Amino acid sequence: MDLNRLNNAFTLFLSLLVEAMPFLLLGVIFSSVLLFFVEERSLLRWLPKNPLLGALAGSCIGFLFPVCECGNVPVARRLLMQGVPSPVAIGFLLAAPTINPIVFWATWIAFRDQPEVVFLRIAFSLTIATMIGWIFSTQSNLRPFLQPNVARAMPLWAGEPSDAPSLLRPGTYWLGASERGNRVTVADLQVASAASVSVVSKPLADKLYLLLENMMQELRELGGVLVLGSAIAATIQVFTPRDVVLSLGQGPVTSILAMMLLAAIVSICSTVDSFFALSFASTFTTGSLLAFLVFGPMIDLKAIGLMLSIFKPRAVFYLFMLAGQLVFLLSLFVNLYLS
Amino acid sequence: MTRRRNGYLWLDIAAIAAWGFLFLKYWLTEKLYLLIHPNYFWLTIAAGFVLLGLALARAILVIRYPFAGTSGPHLSLFPPGWSRWILIATAIAGLLISPRAFASQTALERGISDSLTVTRVRPQAFRATVKPENRSIVDWTRTLTVYPEPDAYTGQSVSVKGFVVHSPETGPNYLLIARFIITCCAADAYPVSLPVKLPEGQRRDAYKPDSWQQVEGQMRTETLAGKRQLVIQATALSPVDEPKNPYDY
Repeated sequence: MDLNRLNNAFTLFLSLLVEAMPFLLLGVIFSSVLLFFVEERSLLRWLPKNPLLGALAGSCIGFLFPVCECGNVPVARRLLMQGVPSPVAIGFLLAAPTINPIVFWATWIAFRDQPEVVFLRIAFSLTIATMIGWIFSTQSNLRPFLQPNVARAMPLWAGEPSDAPSLLRPGTYWLGASERGNRVTVADLQVASAASVSVVSKPLADKLYLLLENMMQELRELGGVLVLGSAIAATIQVFTPRDVVLSLGQGPVTSILAMMLLAAIVSICSTVDSFFALSFASTFTTGSLLAFLVFGPMIDLKAIGLMLSIFKPRAVFYLFMLAGQLVFLLSLFVNLYLS
Repeated sequence: MTRRRNGYLWLDIAAIAAWGFLFLKYWLTEKLYLLIHPNYFWLTIAAGFVLLGLALARAILVIRYPFAGTSGPHLSLFPPGWSRWILIATAIAGLLISPRAFASQTALERGISDSLTVTRVRPQAFRATVKPENRSIVDWTRTLTVYPEPDAYTGQSVSVKGFVVHSPETGPNYLLIARFIITCCAADAYPVSLPVKLPEGQRRDAYKPDSWQQVEGQMRTETLAGKRQLVIQATALSPVDEPKNPYDY
């Protein structure tokens, strides 16, 4: 009996992975290719100056950098260091994991039968990211919110390559680059782009080598997280007593809170989280599925770790509270009035 | 130090390659049918080839440039190195343990029924089959969802294939004949079933749960477990092999 359940959980786990891994791979390929072949600084000229429009534009940049919530942090950090206005960077940070073609496609495949989930996910993510970006624009100087090394980098960075090691300090989740010989490495690349030296202009052979290297690393790290998330999802689905899940999942308020908590804990990648949510589609309210799909990509345990490499804990807390409250209110609206 | 790092690199390559192998193995042994909707097979198969290609390309580079740098940003919850071990261990487990189709226990846990309730994902297509005996269990459920009055179907002949579920709510001369429907992957599989009244003098103990049966009979209306519903009055049940693709869509 219990062996049977274990086998079911394993089958479920494999089915999530078999469906999700191709999307992760696609995300990794896209983010790597764009990292090396698109000049993000040329984007800056097109950005509107108005904070509200800037936040909205920032939220939409994800369409050009299809990264999940693991890939958006390095990009947002690079944007901030290059002097992009804070509403743009924060809009990007919060929206990019959802507002991009790969996530849109994956959500569409999973929720083809409930198109309202797909469109409301996009609408809510855009609205929330833009609002939070706008709110942060009232803080004219963002530096008190930022980690010292990022804050220092903002005005001084260009033309000061000696400052590069500060990127690699402990506590920022960067592995130190060591004995790399004469070849250029991914770490070099990150430093180089942060220092406004374009990687796009490197020779093609070097670019291809870095591309491969970057893909392997992202695949390894994110693949591990995906495996863990799928294991948690399968275990919850098979071993939690059905009536507990049902009673939580049908309440308009409890279902939202439960799914937001789940989103924060499982930290599943936004390119594949719709498949995860789909496994709850038959037992949870539509609003709670939306809460999961909108909140998860913005804030989760994994992303908090990454965000702390940009922001001080206080700012991460503000982001968390604002996003949490807005997601809760909008999903509750869906539960009470739209479904 | 360099040798050690190259060792890790080979582990990474092995992890990526193992996942490529795993995907292609599931495809070639037709286990993918147990895991995902056939519409998305190509995604998994393509991913299998791309993963193998990546591993191969990286392996060639390691052999050609053994001293090239490998370090970079480490963006993860885990301490360095955990990810590759998680990936390798899972891929090995996947290669060793075969996935199995869901069966009656899961069906009972997931709430088996003869209708698609509102919270459930709606069926992909409504196929109006002219002859009632050509309807599958899923076709019957869809028809019933559209027009639920059981009397409308009384007397129609039935011939359906599915696995046996012993519901605790019905007597010993009834069983449920069931199928799982999936829209995307096994994670969203949900069961649908029709109650079967066994021929006179037979008890359901003769038909083991999870065994696959072809049921022939006529539809009739009965009140079962306090609910007026459509029941198959079986004239014959014959055991059949579990199909290659146990799910319906």
